[in-house]
Amino acid sequence: MLEPVMFTGGLYKHDLIVELVEDLGGYILQKNVAQSEIILLILIPSEDKAALEALSKELRGELTRAPLAGTETAVVTPTLAIHHLPHTACDIAEYLRRHGSKTNMLGLARGVGREIAQINEYETALINEHDAAVFIYGNFQECIKHKEKLYQNVTIPVVVTGGPQIEAKELPYAFDYVPAIGRVAHRAKKATEIGTLDRIVESVGLALDKTRATIAKDPLTTSPPRVMDAVREQVPDVEYSYSPLPIALNLTGVRIKLPYSQYRDAVAAVKFDEGVKLGEIATIRPSQMKEYILVRILPSSETGFVF
Amino acid sequence: MDPMEVFKIEVTGEEEFGAKKYRELIMDILQDLGLIRSIGRLYVYIDILKPFFAVYGLLRSGIPPLTAKDVGDVMQVAGGFQIKINDEEHMADLMKVLWERYGRERVDQSARDVVIIASDSSPADLVVADLEAEFLQDLTDALVRIAPEGFRNRRNEMTKDSFFFVAAEESLSPEMVSDIKEKIREMENA
Repeated sequence: MLEPVMFTGGLYKHDLIVELVEDLGGYILQKNVAQSEIILLILIPSEDKAALEALSKELRGELTRAPLAGTETAVVTPTLAIHHLPHTACDIAEYLRRHGSKTNMLGLARGVGREIAQINEYETALINEHDAAVFIYGNFQECIKHKEKLYQNVTIPVVVTGGPQIEAKELPYAFDYVPAIGRVAHRAKKATEIGTLDRIVESVGLALDKTRATIAKDPLTTSPPRVMDAVREQVPDVEYSYSPLPIALNLTGVRIKLPYSQYRDAVAAVKFDEGVKLGEIATIRPSQMKEYILVRILPSSETGFVF
Repeated sequence: MDPMEVFKIEVTGEEEFGAKKYRELIMDILQDLGLIRSIGRLYVYIDILKPFFAVYGLLRSGIPPLTAKDVGDVMQVAGGFQIKINDEEHMADLMKVLWERYGRERVDQSARDVVIIASDSSPADLVVADLEAEFLQDLTDALVRIAPEGFRNRRNEMTKDSFFFVAAEESLSPEMVSDIKEKIREMENA
């Protein structure tokens, strides 16, 4: 089984880590260079984790478990106005990132108010492209219950956050409800506030585990990191994409940040060692996000094989 | 401890948490904008089912206008007056007022913080900025930030010593406004 970990350390000799991961059959998901520091998000076979730990210790780096690595989470606020940003929404997004998740912040166009709050089809479809969503609500329980309508049509697990204590069963459409983080006008820095952020991460982790368990019942034809590696190798233009993460991983596929109209065929023609083409084992369609390419790997029940 | 003499907040329904959090939120925003010292009493009334948000506040004594001698030291020198600017925040306002009063050719800014005016009349009492107007602008900004988002129908009544602000999702009717005022009066007298 592949284990998600995060390496934080110096840039010097970090290529030894990259080489080791490749030799062990793992994957480098993301590489972030900040001056002389580097953060690597890695998937490594769990039986070989000790070897990576030993090397990172030798390089004076730090290796931590990143339970959300390889997933994409949407952090949804009613709008992108000062009422929700920067404190609550950015704190949650940043905290999820520190645990390895790729987070996208999403402000609804008309999510404000109580009676007038709305979500449109496009926004719902965009949220559904993620693996989990966190909906950030405010301090009044009446509003939190009433605004359930915003995520009723969202098919991925939704973690709702808000201020007051509400029983999770009172929000039947939500996967979980995390209280004690409503609308605040200061950064989360107290121990209790950080504890709440931990609870959100834990809740998102559980939601992803549930999705993983569902996928395990009918496994994907191949794993998303393998598709990522093959695309990176055979569609070299992806490295010239301006996005900080040119290929974003999901639990059921990848999002490739290249224009769909120009690169669809090249992506579909990506060939694996087993002789199968990506177009045969996955659906390739335009993403709701910009003009990106969304690859969804088909389950083995549809293709009849797993590799 | 609250820096205000009175700070009451009332929310209809079972929203004790919301009331407590809004109290913190209002303090945070007023503190951020440096307004908290100028407000003496504050009454907040929220009904989340209608829904509307109302604030009534009494202001502390008025703020005098800012004059040239508040911005810097005014001294008489040979050929006129010299201002040594201490408060750079209002430097642009001061220069504008001096140019208007004396004309550009008689105002010489020899250094960044030194202005020499070739005139016999002292600029010491020239009004540079109306701080009260600035304060009221900041207060309106704070109230808009505090009100829950989406409450776009607003009414703001400001006088020299008090303000009344109400924001709602639906249109504000005169009856609704008078009911809210009545409720706030009750809170005041309680």
